[in-house]
Parts: sequence; C-alpha cells; structure tokens
Amino acid sequence: MPKNPLPLLQGTLDLLVLRCLSGGTRHGYAIASIVREQTGGDLTVEDAALYQALHRLHRQHLVDAEWGPSENNRRARFYTLTPAGRTRLREETANWRRYARAVDAVLQGA
Amino acid sequence: MNSDGSREPGGGNRKPFWYLRRRSVKSDVDEELNLHLEMRIDELAASGMTRDEARQEAIRQFGDLEATRRYCRDQDETREKTMQRTLSIQDLGQDLRIGIRSLLRVPLLTLTIIATVGVGIGATAAIFSAVNAAMLRPLPYAHPDRLVRIYTDTPPFKFRFSIADYLAFTEQQTRFERHATYTDRAVSFSNGEIAELLRTRVVSWQFFSVLGINPLLGRDFSETDGRTGSPQVALASHAFFQQRLGGRADAIGRPVRLDGADFTIVGVMPPAAGPLERRYDLFLIQQFTPPTRKGPFFYSVIARLPDGADRNLAATELRTINRALFPIWKSSYQDDKATWSMEDLKTNLIGDVRAISGLALAAVALVWLIACANASNLLIARVTSRRQELAVRAALGATRGRVIRYLLVESGLLAAGAALLAVAIASGGMQLLQTYGATYFPRTGEIRFDAAMAWVMLALAMSSALLFGLVPALNATGGSVDESLRSSRSSTAGVGVRRLRQVLVGAQFAIATPLLIVAGLLLVSLNQLRQVDLGFETEQVLTGSIRLPGAQYQDQARIDAFWEELKRRVAVLPGVSGVAYADGLPPNQPGQHNNFALEGSAPDEPQHVTPWVATSPEYAATLGLRLIEGRLLEERDVDPDNLVAVVVDRAWARRFYPNQSAVGKRFKSGGCTDCPFTTVVGVLSEVKYDGVDQPDQGTVYFPISGGTFRFLIVRSSGDPLSLAPMVRQSVRELEPAAPLSNLATAAGLVDQSLLRPQSLSMLVASFAGVALLLSVIGIYGVMGYYVQQHMKEISIRMALGGSRGDVAKLVVGQGMVVVIGGVIVGTMLAFAATRLMSSLLFGVGATDPIAFTSVAALMVMVALLAVAVPAWRAMRLQPAAVLRNE
Repeated sequence: MPKNPLPLLQGTLDLLVLRCLSGGTRHGYAIASIVREQTGGDLTVEDAALYQALHRLHRQHLVDAEWGPSENNRRARFYTLTPAGRTRLREETANWRRYARAVDAVLQGA
Repeated sequence: MNSDGSREPGGGNRKPFWYLRRRSVKSDVDEELNLHLEMRIDELAASGMTRDEARQEAIRQFGDLEATRRYCRDQDETREKTMQRTLSIQDLGQDLRIGIRSLLRVPLLTLTIIATVGVGIGATAAIFSAVNAAMLRPLPYAHPDRLVRIYTDTPPFKFRFSIADYLAFTEQQTRFERHATYTDRAVSFSNGEIAELLRTRVVSWQFFSVLGINPLLGRDFSETDGRTGSPQVALASHAFFQQRLGGRADAIGRPVRLDGADFTIVGVMPPAAGPLERRYDLFLIQQFTPPTRKGPFFYSVIARLPDGADRNLAATELRTINRALFPIWKSSYQDDKATWSMEDLKTNLIGDVRAISGLALAAVALVWLIACANASNLLIARVTSRRQELAVRAALGATRGRVIRYLLVESGLLAAGAALLAVAIASGGMQLLQTYGATYFPRTGEIRFDAAMAWVMLALAMSSALLFGLVPALNATGGSVDESLRSSRSSTAGVGVRRLRQVLVGAQFAIATPLLIVAGLLLVSLNQLRQVDLGFETEQVLTGSIRLPGAQYQDQARIDAFWEELKRRVAVLPGVSGVAYADGLPPNQPGQHNNFALEGSAPDEPQHVTPWVATSPEYAATLGLRLIEGRLLEERDVDPDNLVAVVVDRAWARRFYPNQSAVGKRFKSGGCTDCPFTTVVGVLSEVKYDGVDQPDQGTVYFPISGGTFRFLIVRSSGDPLSLAPMVRQSVRELEPAAPLSNLATAAGLVDQSLLRPQSLSMLVASFAGVALLLSVIGIYGVMGYYVQQHMKEISIRMALGGSRGDVAKLVVGQGMVVVIGGVIVGTMLAFAATRLMSSLLFGVGATDPIAFTSVAALMVMVALLAVAVPAWRAMRLQPAAVLRNE
C-alpha cells in the first residue's frame, strides 16, 4: 500500500461508483476492486462506505440491483446504471471537471 | 439467474406481505456483505495469509460492518416502501382510467345509475337539511338550552297566558333568571306615500334580553319603556330598517306612524336568525294596563333558567304558584286539571314536526336505498357479462382483492358522479324547501349547507358505493377462475346471480310497498279532509281583512260610521249580494277562544272553552249558514256594556244541552261573576273554525261592535275575485290609511288550510312514485335477463311441444314470485310502521285494510305489466333459430 492515501472528498464516492458502473453490470466486490486498481491506492475507499453508497444510489433509483450468479457461481447482487443514473453521472462528471479546472487554475496562477 | 431460487423468490415486487419483504431485505443485505467479505478473504488468502488472518484483515479493511448493515437495510426498506406506494398509486390511477373508459362505453347504464342514486342522495340530503335546521341545530340564541316556554297546561291543550295570568306570574318570586311575554299584532303603517300592513310582535321589555340578543344599533327596551304612560317605543328589524328607514343610523330616535300613533324607534336588531323574531317588521313595547277580565289568552311566555337550574324544581314551583293563585284561577279558568307548566323552548317550537320530519326523511332515504338496490342490480348484470374479462385478469395474476378493488373503483366513480349530481339536487331542494318548506317544517329560513350536510352527503355517497359496488364485486369474483374461463355462458353461475338479483328486486318491492302505502294513506286523508262538510259557502264568497289606524279611530262613533259606510258602499257594487263583518273566519281563524259558566252550574265546576266569533247580523246569510232554531243576531243585540244575546251552533247546543232546546238557555261569559246573564237566542248549522281536521267543539256567535280590526265578507253572484278591485277601491276611497289585506275567496282559505297535508302527501307520493318506478325497472331488468339466459331451455321446451302459454306462465310466474314476496314483506313492514304516523292521518286508520290491499294490488298489477314484456319476448322466440345458433 502506498503511503499517505488521501481521504475521499465528500460526495465524490457516489460519482466514482457511478463511473465504475458505466462499463456494465457489476457486483460490489468488483466495484471495490476497480476503485482500488484505478486509484492506484492514492484514495482510501472504505468498503463500508462503498456499500452504503451502492444502497443509497439504489434507493435513489440511480442504479438497479439484481441477484445473479457470480464468476465462481455464488449468489451475488449485481448493479446496473439506470438511465437516470447515466444522466447523473454525466452531470456530476462535468461538474467535477469544472471544479478541478477551477481549483487548478487558481493553484497555477498563484 | 436465481439458480438456487428455492430460498428466495426472484425480484422484490411479487412478495406479497410486508413481513416477508422485511426478512428478505435483512437477509439480502447480510448475504451481499458476506459475499464481499468472503471474496476478500479468498483474495487475501491467495496472497499468502492464513485463513484467520485473512478474515481479520478483511473485516478491518471493510470498516464499520454493523453500521453499514443498518444503513443499507434502511435504504432498501425506504426504497421498498416508496415503490409500494407509487405502485399502488399507479394501480389506482390505472384502475381509474380503465374504470372511466369502461363506464363511458356503457353510457346509458352509467347515466341511469348516476341519475337515480344522485337523485336519491340529493333528495335525502335536502330533506336532512330541513330536519337539521328544524330539529337538530340548537336555537340561535344565547345558551338556548336554558330557554323554556311557560304555558297553561290542560292536556291535551297548551294555552297561552292572558295579561291577567302574566301579571300574576310576574308578581311571584320564581327561580327563573328572567322572563318575557309577547303577542302578535298586525298594524297599519303609513309614511305619507304608502299604507301597508306590518307584522309586529308586541313584547314585554325583557324579551330580547331573555333571548340574549343585543340591538345592532341604538338600545334595547328598558324597564321604564314598559311602564304604562311612558312614550311608545319600538325596535326595528334589520330588514325594516334597510327597506323602510333607509338603513341610516339617524333613523334612531325618529317616530314611525303605526295605526295612526307615533312610536319612536330606539334601536335596530341584527338580521333575524331565530324563529321567535324572524319575519317581523317591528317589535313594539308592551305596556300593561290592568285587565278587566281574565281572558283572552293571547300572550306567549318565554323564560330563561339560571345556569345549572333544576328543571324539575322550576316546574314544581310553577305548579305551586299556580295552586297559590288558585282562587283567582278557578273562577277565571275552565278546568280543575289546568296548571302552569313549562317545556324546553326548542321542543315547544318544533311542535308536532317530529312525525313529519321522520316520515319525510324515512321516505326519501328509502328511495335512496331502492336506487342503490337498482344500481346494484344493474351492476351485477354488467359484472356477470364481464365475468370472462375479470377471469382473464385473475388468470394474469391479479388477486381477488385486486379485482374487487378495481370493481369498487368503478362503483366509487359512479358514486362520485352521483355525489356531484346530488350536490346540485340538494342545493335546488334546499332552495325549494326554504321557499315552500314552511308548510311542513319550522325554521326553514335556517336551512343552509353546513358541515353536517357535507358529512351526510359524504356518508351517503360512500355507503352508496359500497351498497351497489360490494355485492356485485364479491359475487363476480367469488366463482372459480377456471370455470369462468371455460364456460362461455356459465349456467351454474347464472343461477346464483339470478337468485341474488331476485333478492335485490324483492327487497326493492319490500321497501317500495310501505312507501306507497304511506302515500296512499296520506292521499286518502287529504281526500277525507276535502270531503269534510265545512258548513259554509266557499265558491261565491270573497274575504279580506281591514285594520283601521287606531290613533285616528279612537272615537267609537267614528269607527262605527266607517264600518257602516263601507258596508253600504260595498253592498251596492254590481254583483254583490251580501256583505258581513266578523272577527274570525272559517276554516281556521276563530276570533278567540273564550270560557263561560252555564247557568245552574256550581261555582267551582270547571268552565268550558269554545271558539267565539263576533259577527254582524248578515254573517249567517252571507256565508250560507242555516238557521236551525230561534232567530239570528240583530242590530238591537249590540250592547256596548253587556253581552246580552248570542247565537250558538248546533254542536254547541248538542254538547251542552243534548236533549233539549238551547234557545233561551243562559250563561256568564269569561268568568265574569257579576255580569248579567247572556241568553242564547238561536242555533245555526256548524262551521269549522279550528281547522278542517278538528271536531266541532261548539261555536258562540256574538254581535260585533266597534273594533279597529274586522274581516270583510262579501257574497257575490258571479266570480268573487272579479269583485276584488272594486272592493279595494271602496276601502281606499273611504280611508287611504286602512289597507285591505289577505284578499281571498273562501275556497282559497280552505285550500290554504289544506296546504300542509296536501304538500306533505304530494311529497311522499312523489317519493313513492319514484320508488315504484325503480322497482318496476328492477323486475323488468331481472326478468329480461332471465329470458336471455334461458333462451335455450325455453326453446327446447317449445320444440318438445310446450305451448307459448306455458312459456309465458313460466316467466311471469318466476317474476311474480319475487314481486309478491317483496310486497308481502313490505306490507308487513308497513303494518308495523304506519302507526307511527297516525297523528298525520285524518279519517283513515293507520292500518286501513282498503289502503293496504289496494296498494298491494296496484304494485302487483304494475309489476305484472313489467314482467309481461319479457314474457312476451320469450313467447315470440323461434326455437329452431335459437337452437341452430347454439
């Protein structure tokens, strides 16, 4: 594990989870693995927070959930983006980019 | 998916009960999190950790497991709940949409149900509004429960007080907080331009403080106002203030000219709400002058009890005071049993309306019930023909509850439509009742749409929906799905449905029969009332009343001159064959009721009370009364000081002198012990003065003299109303300030007196007519359905040689069994119920066998006609054609 992993900014976890699902249907463990791989350990994403986010998004009808067989044929809960979730992902991604650009611009100018 | 589905059924939506859902949410979350941990353990173990280390590390990495479990479950449950809610709302919306669409597809049925049930609800609500205003709502006075009416009680009569009574009562210490008396007087009002007759109430000074009403402007009467010799003052009603005093505050203190005398307006009352002050133009102060005799009994007394007073004690006190006054009392009143008594003011004002309200409300509610039964019947037929559609729904997974709910939504839609119509009908009905309802209900002016009305209508609409919706719904969904789907025309289900419909139609007849019997009894009563020998000429007589302005006519000679001159002028009008005066008129306006002591009766013997009418000598001839014995009154009988001679009617003669001639008999009037005797000089035929429905009590006619108020009676040789303009003109020429009021033919007076029984019987008869119509529609529908269902059987029967007569007999027999069953039950119900309305009947018993049998016969006849149509259709079936099509 790399040193000093960064704590997650409030509200970004939902965005990450949505993004992970944009590639297709996945169960919770797979999502956790993707987040871990893609951040290269720079971000700490607790599994607890991840599952909470999944159920929260499910309640908000941004993702669908369905039981299905996992790779090793266990019963797993698979999540899929709903059309509403896709829209939300687009909006939030754009927002995040603007945010990052804005912060970056200030940091570069200073 | 769902390979090991034995543990859990698939997606969440089909799980029917909440506890199952709850368990599944919990186990779903557990399973999901466990899987995650196990996969992580597998991964860690693969990287070289022992299984135990891996488990600890996985749990550590995961974070707060318990909190996550709770959070996830919570989220899932919230989602389930909202989904359920939207689902059921969506279902309801869908049901509504489908319901509206399928109802619009059968517009005639929809309209029939909405119209019949709507009329039922609306009419019931309208009648309820009147009953509510009359009986249920408290009187619009301060603490109305503490208000009582005090009267002289001589069962079965309740008499008002005389001035002497009231003054005697006032001198006593009582536990009443305050009390007041009032009497009505018509006075002529003139403001220089117009002369009109006003309705005034002459009240003692505490009248409004007893009721707890304060003047809107100015002041209430004071004790000083009530003293003899104080200036005459009056309070204006709000309407009079607006219309005649210009609605300006400076009207207070101004004089108004009443009967030629000036009264000062000291205040204006708020718009009147209650039965004691509504409809009066002015309230005049009563100033008592000690009376010379004990009668007449024109003064109503009201009193207010203090808070928490014991009514029994107050009533006992009244009796005790009455006994204490006994010596005066005995000589002034007729009866040993007479005493003072009190009763709740509202009860007293409502009077005998209980029977009428009960009857009207019961009648209209029964019509509503029949309408619901009818609607139920129609819906059963519709639902039966839709059995297959419903069975398909059920086969596609709709539960029985779901199908019932759909059917109830449909009936709810119908009920909502009916309720909308009912609001319109109820408001129309309330308007009608406000205008015309006064003949049967008191306090019609207080009818309005209030919360109670809204609740009643809501309750009626909801029970309608259940009444006509639930039975068909339960019935339609009761059978097995499988069977309904397989048989295109299920004859087994048909039997059950037909039974149910027959029961409903039988119930309709059972409800309609008592209604028709009641209507029949009322119509017979009305007819009996019309048959009553009134004893006077009604066709060629014109009557009216004249009040002279008292202030200008104080001189006896001037008064006499006016009446003489008027009589002379009217008598010479073309077409007039007779003119007379009286202070009372048949059939229900006695001049007064007076008591008298027959010569030879013991001093402590109870005195009798009968109607007394003051008449001019021409009275008997003008009204067509026959002289049976002795002579008529003559001018020489007029004696301003003493009552010398009277004429009585035959009923009086028979009552007091059954086996001898009354002529020459003597009595002393009004409890006057030192007056000279009055002698009976003649006997006339009977005339009703206390109402057409009252027995003849015996009337005393005495000579009219003086007086500023008289009825004018004109006999014409042609149409009496054509005389009216000329008579009016004669009065105006002679005295412009003396209006001629209440112009009517004697026949008109009789009609007026019959208005109440007439309008009541018409109301009930129209309800009964609707009930009969709905029942007939019901039996027609059921038998039409029967024929349709049995086309095959009937055709086979005919093909096998059965005659058309047999077929007709079969159908008619089937129908009439239902009708006759219903009529028999209904007749028994009526037998039990009609005695409750015996107070409303005249000349016919509450269980009059003729009325009962003829109504039953009528219903059977009409039903027979209705059944004949389907029977006719059955007879005309072409067996070959029907059987070929099968």
